[in-house]
Amino acid sequence: MLRLVGKRLVPQTQVQTLGTPTLRLRRRYHERVVDHYNNPRNVGSFDKEDPTVGTGLVGAPACGDVMKLQIKVDQHSGKIVDACFKTFGCGSAIASSSVATEWVKGKHMEEVLSIKNTEIAKHLSLPPVKLHCSMLAEDAIKAAVKDYESKKAKNGSSDASSPKVAEA
Amino acid sequence: MWNRRKNLLLSSLSLLRHISSSPHLPRLHPLKPSHLLCPSNSFLPPIDSQLRNNLLDLPRCGFPRNLSSSNSCSSCWNCGAVGPTSGAFLACGSCGAVQPVDASVDYFQIFGMKKMYEIEEGDLEGIYKDWQKKLHPDLVHSKSEKEKGFAAEQSARVIDAYRTLKNPLSRALYLLKLEQIHVDEEKTVSDPDLLMEMLEMREAVEEAKDTQSLKEIQSKVKKKLDSWSNSFKEAFNKQDFDSAVNCTQRMKYYERALEEITKKL
Repeated sequence: MLRLVGKRLVPQTQVQTLGTPTLRLRRRYHERVVDHYNNPRNVGSFDKEDPTVGTGLVGAPACGDVMKLQIKVDQHSGKIVDACFKTFGCGSAIASSSVATEWVKGKHMEEVLSIKNTEIAKHLSLPPVKLHCSMLAEDAIKAAVKDYESKKAKNGSSDASSPKVAEA
Repeated sequence: MWNRRKNLLLSSLSLLRHISSSPHLPRLHPLKPSHLLCPSNSFLPPIDSQLRNNLLDLPRCGFPRNLSSSNSCSSCWNCGAVGPTSGAFLACGSCGAVQPVDASVDYFQIFGMKKMYEIEEGDLEGIYKDWQKKLHPDLVHSKSEKEKGFAAEQSARVIDAYRTLKNPLSRALYLLKLEQIHVDEEKTVSDPDLLMEMLEMREAVEEAKDTQSLKEIQSKVKKKLDSWSNSFKEAFNKQDFDSAVNCTQRMKYYERALEEITKKL
C-alpha cells in the first residue's frame, strides 16, 4: 500500500501518563451489552402468518442496521406470552433488541408501548453515539404491536363477514 | 539583468491584480501570466521550462508582501508568493512551505476535480501520493513547529479527502453535504419491502456455507449497489435530492452486506 499513509489517532484509545505507571483508558461496551451480545436472549423467528404474532421490522439507514422483533400475544388476555428478535447491526443494537424482548414478555400491549428508549439505554449504559440503537428497539416494539393490532382488525373483520357468507 | 526580470514580473503581477478585479480575465501573451500568477493547482504549473527556471531562480521573499494580498488569491506565509485563485493552496509552489488548512476548500478542489459524482477514480491515488510528498509530517521534521502543525493538519485533511472521494457512498454523502442537504441520521425507516430485502440478504450471508455461495451473493449485491449508484447519479444531477438520499440509504445497506461477506470470506 502507500508508504506515505499518515497515521491517524484512533479516538477510542487514550493514553494517559500518571507519573510512572501508564493508565490506558479505553471506551468499552458495558458488561451488560457484552452479556447480551455473547448470550443473546430470544433470538429466533415466529411464523409471520400466525394471527397471534405481531412483527415489527425497523431499520436505521445511517448505519445499515435491520431489526426484527416479534411478539406472540395471548388473544384472550392481551398479554405478550413470548417474544423473539433478529438484529443485524452493532453490539448495542443487538443488546437493545435482546433487552426489549425480555422486557415485553408477560406485559400487556398497552404497557409495552410505554417502554422508552432512554430506559433501555440507561440499562445498557449506552453512550450518546449509540442512543439511536435503543430508539430502534423502541420503534420495533411499537411496530410489532401495531402489526398485531392491524392483523387482529383484519381477522376480526373477516370473521364478521364469514358468518354472512355461511348464511348465504 | 536580474533586476529587469524582477521588474518585469512585478509589473505583470500588478497588471494582473488590476485585471483580476474585472469579470473577464484576458489572456496575456507571451508571459502567460494567468499560469504564472495563479496556477490551477500548486504543482509546478505547465509553463515553458525557461520561464519556470526564471521563477525558481528568484530569491525567496523576492516579492514584496503588499503585492500578494489580493482579494482572490491567498499568499504564502513564508515567501509571500501568491497562491491559486481557485483550488487548493496547500503547499506553496515557489518555496514549498506547507500552508495552514483552509476549510473553505472542499475535497474536490484538493484533487482538482469537478464537484460531481462521476470522477476518475484511477487518478485519485496518484494525486493523493503527490500531495503527501509535499505535505507529510515526516518530511517537515526539520522545519518550524508552526509548519509541522500545518503539515499534520493538511496531511490529515488530504487523507480524509482521498478516503471520502474514493468510496462511492461516502462521495455521494459528501456531495449531499456540500449541497446543504441534511440527512437525519436518527430517523428509523419502516419501509417493509426495503427492510425485508435487507433482512433476507443478511440472513443469506449468515447462512452461506461455502465460499462459492458467498461469492454469488457478493456479485448480486455488487450489481445492486452499482445500479443504485447510477440512480443516485441521475437523481443528484436532476437535483431530486429526496430520491438521492433514498439511494444513499440503500447503498449503505448493500455496503454493510458486502462488509459482512468480506469478513466471512
